[in-house]
Amino acid sequence: MMEKKGRYLLPLLLAILVVAVVAVPLYLGKEIEYKSDRFLMDTMVSIKAYGRDEGKLKDAVTAAYGEMQRIADLSDRFPAPGSAEYKASDVCLINENAGIMPVRVHREIIDMLLLAKKYHGLGKGAFDVTIGPVMDLWGFTGNNPKIPPPEKLAKTLTLVDSNKLIINEERQTAFLEKRGMKLDLGAVAKGYATEKAVQVLKSRGVARALIDAGDNIRVIGKKSRNAPWKIGIKDPRKSGGIIAIVSLTDGSAVTSGDYYRYFESGGRRYNHIIDPRTGYPASANMSVTVMTENAGVADCLSTIFFVLEPEKSLELAGKMGGVDIFLVTADRRILHTPSLKGRVEVKSGEDYRYDQGR
Amino acid sequence: MTRGDKYLAAGILLVAIFALAFPRLQSSLFPMATSSARAVIKARGKIVREVDLSDRGGRSTLVVNGRVGPSTLEVEWKRIRMKEANCPDKICVKQGWIEKPGDSIVCIPGEILVRIEGAAPVDAVTR
Repeated sequence: MMEKKGRYLLPLLLAILVVAVVAVPLYLGKEIEYKSDRFLMDTMVSIKAYGRDEGKLKDAVTAAYGEMQRIADLSDRFPAPGSAEYKASDVCLINENAGIMPVRVHREIIDMLLLAKKYHGLGKGAFDVTIGPVMDLWGFTGNNPKIPPPEKLAKTLTLVDSNKLIINEERQTAFLEKRGMKLDLGAVAKGYATEKAVQVLKSRGVARALIDAGDNIRVIGKKSRNAPWKIGIKDPRKSGGIIAIVSLTDGSAVTSGDYYRYFESGGRRYNHIIDPRTGYPASANMSVTVMTENAGVADCLSTIFFVLEPEKSLELAGKMGGVDIFLVTADRRILHTPSLKGRVEVKSGEDYRYDQGR
Repeated sequence: MTRGDKYLAAGILLVAIFALAFPRLQSSLFPMATSSARAVIKARGKIVREVDLSDRGGRSTLVVNGRVGPSTLEVEWKRIRMKEANCPDKICVKQGWIEKPGDSIVCIPGEILVRIEGAAPVDAVTR
């Protein structure tokens, strides 16, 4: 009797194991990936969404792109005056009526402007959505940027002041008090639109997705049941290189760098992120990556922390809660908030200094 | 069959099943089988070319028609770059060669995307 029992035990266990090993991954692997990309907001946006029904995924992703396009149209500042795109843009409407009168705009524009004003206060002027006239003077919005004459820059800088941007939430109006003032939502709109896309995906039942909006990353859920998404941070000086890998779950990773749009003159690099307090490009950092849940907030913060001195940024981020930052400073130091420890894998190599004991 | 034989057979069977069930394990066991480097080229929302990068025979060029006119791509063994483009900013050209799976060249004015397919070490890169 004992003999017989023993003889069946091994094959039986084996059979159970075989079923478990084959069936479990098959069941878990039933989720499919729907992937697509689209050119919008002057960049490329790609969305990967996961679920069991391809048709539903496709509809959700298409709706998410539609929402981003809608925000893009409302916040575009460069269509030709008189064109249909110009008429569709709330930002053009506000800029056109600077110094004249408040104008009624869409709720989303009010949201974005309130967000921008909040971070203008928090960053003590290191971030300002009324930077438009100075951006135009440097020519970063065109193809031939150059250093402006100092007197002209000083004069133009007087037009940059978020305190003169008046929002009436109740009436849903916005007003730039001085003629010549101009909004530029370049540091907010992409992040805000990404967050709106996330809302659309979630409302349509997507529980796992990755949005890459012109290299600003936002993830929904985890990559798999027990693994977070792995996001690389670009090496600011090596083409195709990665300086660190961070783990991300339900959140965004947004980077501001000095290498994307810049020009060189007299051996100096002039990048497109202007310090609103001086009118000149910020130069304390090569790149700043912000990780926080909301992509719109991350977009504003990456600009603020790019402009501020690194030590000040670490201090400010540390106080915020739920905000992690990763900095590559102009003097080639790698710094990050202590909260990132264990979630970041730094590949500093010989080009950068990284003191792990921080 | 001795008892030892049975354990051996069971062991081999298990490894085989694992390898079949987990594609990732499979590719780490047999890396050569999955490393056929391939670049996908999209223009204005459509895939226009797929290029095999595993051909060791010299360089070749190909022309893609984007939104701002023709752009010239150059292909070598394992890598690809935008050689010439009509776009005003030339960011795509300045980027140089790409060679790792997951890497991409994006020309925004031309609405051209070149991406090297395959398992990338990260899910995305923030820049």
